Amino acid sequence: MGTTVHSSFRITDAEAAREHSFVNESLENDIMTELHPNALCFGEEFAASGAPCLVHVEEHELTITFIAGRDGVENRSESVRFTELTVSAGGLDHNQLVIAWTGPTGQRTLYLKSPEVIRAFRHAAPDHLTQPIERAAEQVRQVRQRHRAVWTLVGATLLAVVLGLWFGSDLLVELAVDRIPIEWEQKLGEAAYRDFLAHQDVMKEGPAVTAVTEMTQRMIGQIPDNPYKFDVTVVKSEVVNAFALPGGFIVVFTGLMKKAESPEEVAGVLAHELNHVLQRHGLERIVKQLGFVAVISIALGNPPGMGGMMKQLGIELMTLKFGRAQETEADLTGLQLLYRAKIDPSGMMTFFQRLAEKDEGRVEWLSTHPMSRARADRLQAELAAMPPLKAEPFSFDWTHVRASVDSR
Amino acid sequence: MRSEILYPGAFPMVRIELAEGEHIKAESGAMVACSPTIDIESKMEGGFLGALSRKFLTGEKFFFQTLRASRGAGEALLAPTVPGEIVILELDGVNEYMVQKDGFLAGADGVTIDSQMQSMSRGLLGGEGFFILKMSGKGMLVLNSFGAIHKIELKPGQEYIVDNSHLVAWSSTTTYNIEKATSGWVASFTSGEGFVCRFRGPGMVFIQSRNPGGFGAWVRQFIPVSE
Repeated sequence: MGTTVHSSFRITDAEAAREHSFVNESLENDIMTELHPNALCFGEEFAASGAPCLVHVEEHELTITFIAGRDGVENRSESVRFTELTVSAGGLDHNQLVIAWTGPTGQRTLYLKSPEVIRAFRHAAPDHLTQPIERAAEQVRQVRQRHRAVWTLVGATLLAVVLGLWFGSDLLVELAVDRIPIEWEQKLGEAAYRDFLAHQDVMKEGPAVTAVTEMTQRMIGQIPDNPYKFDVTVVKSEVVNAFALPGGFIVVFTGLMKKAESPEEVAGVLAHELNHVLQRHGLERIVKQLGFVAVISIALGNPPGMGGMMKQLGIELMTLKFGRAQETEADLTGLQLLYRAKIDPSGMMTFFQRLAEKDEGRVEWLSTHPMSRARADRLQAELAAMPPLKAEPFSFDWTHVRASVDSR
Repeated sequence: MRSEILYPGAFPMVRIELAEGEHIKAESGAMVACSPTIDIESKMEGGFLGALSRKFLTGEKFFFQTLRASRGAGEALLAPTVPGEIVILELDGVNEYMVQKDGFLAGADGVTIDSQMQSMSRGLLGGEGFFILKMSGKGMLVLNSFGAIHKIELKPGQEYIVDNSHLVAWSSTTTYNIEKATSGWVASFTSGEGFVCRFRGPGMVFIQSRNPGGFGAWVRQFIPVSE
């Protein structure tokens, strides 16, 4: 069965089909399948699913060739004059041309979908059908437009909600956090603090504790209307880190002090952590995470499989973005605090620069903390805008403090 | 290609005989047993994006399996996951069926599967989701349901009302509107029907005698709640 035969039917379709059916009433099945039906005809004697048929548009009439099914029905054709037809739009999406007429065997309904046939029919149709056809076409267009409009609206709304969450949530979170009393925050932080310290090697006294206390006191003295009672603990660990819990509980690891070349560097990190507490970042984070999970869960339900993964991913990304914003805020306010406490802020920068050497190649977008180099640059710019500072040194000897940490 | 439904009723299987070189596509995981001459391949029907949209939009599987009688004639036994009847339809190139997302079991190679967007009201209230599968092309199409399958034949203009979520498949020559089950809003919900679909012929509507969502809710009350 060459393509030439195939296409010849396309061109002369019903003409050839009719010839076929008249000349070879009992052609073999594989030749029969060459008749590609292009419409469904409904009527009393046909199955409810409709009879597949080949419609051909002629000058004054439609020729409908019913195609032989496997149940042994032979191909046969009938013609109907244009004058007997009524047309409308129909089908599930209102995108099919419905042609109805009353034939000798009762009501017939033809569902046309093929664009070529519809075009041919539109072209050949007499005047009395032009108007209904145009009306049907208009109906199809309207349905399509309405579909498009509704989905555009839904898409825009979704986009607005997502963007709103992304940019507007900070404001909502701040409002919510403002309503939470400090005492709650302290209770929350203290529980976690005690829990954490229970498993750690806490340094109770010594030059390191004295030094950290002096730094903290100097900075706390510069915080106006401080509602927090800060509690700073030095923990023996190789980890180069320090963290703050909601309510004013701060932990500094000795690893950080070992890494620091000057007390100003440690003070810089402390200033950063103090500001996490003052800005209530921990609480904001909890509220944000809870709220965001709630919003997402309401919107998406609990989708299984890939949907669930997307949901998790969305929450993670949101948390990361939020984390970075907080870090930047703590950096900048930390810098101002150092400045007020007359501690040389360049320590904060040198420390980040030293860290930056380690994190080349990380992707900032996927990290909770901004890149150390970017942080240092941002601070540098900020500092350049401030009037020059006459820093006052600390009372302790840093080499002594470092040695005391190192010896353990 | 010949097909036969074995054990008709709640736990049927469909046996499909393939001549050498013939192949069918089936829902992933549908194959129960097959002749050694049949190769099972995994395929993203409709390309990566098509498969992706099907997965996300309709909840159908990302991969379909292709069963190919590449080394001689053979047969394959296929079964759906849920208990329920199987129905075999023949597509002839002009008739198209819309199938709800879990309804597809297998299809001849000539059958094209697309995900199609429904209108807002149908998507929101029809119980089938915003995206359904559209089956077109030529060849055998095997559908499965939850419960028994009932066939409704509609003449042109004839109407029938079906509770949403009982739909399995319907021809694209039918139309339907979503309506409240009763004239009042409150009664609509207290009657337990909520929304119904008013179908209008001509065409076929296949419905399932059980509602998966309703069954799920019924089962849930017997599942022990864990911490």
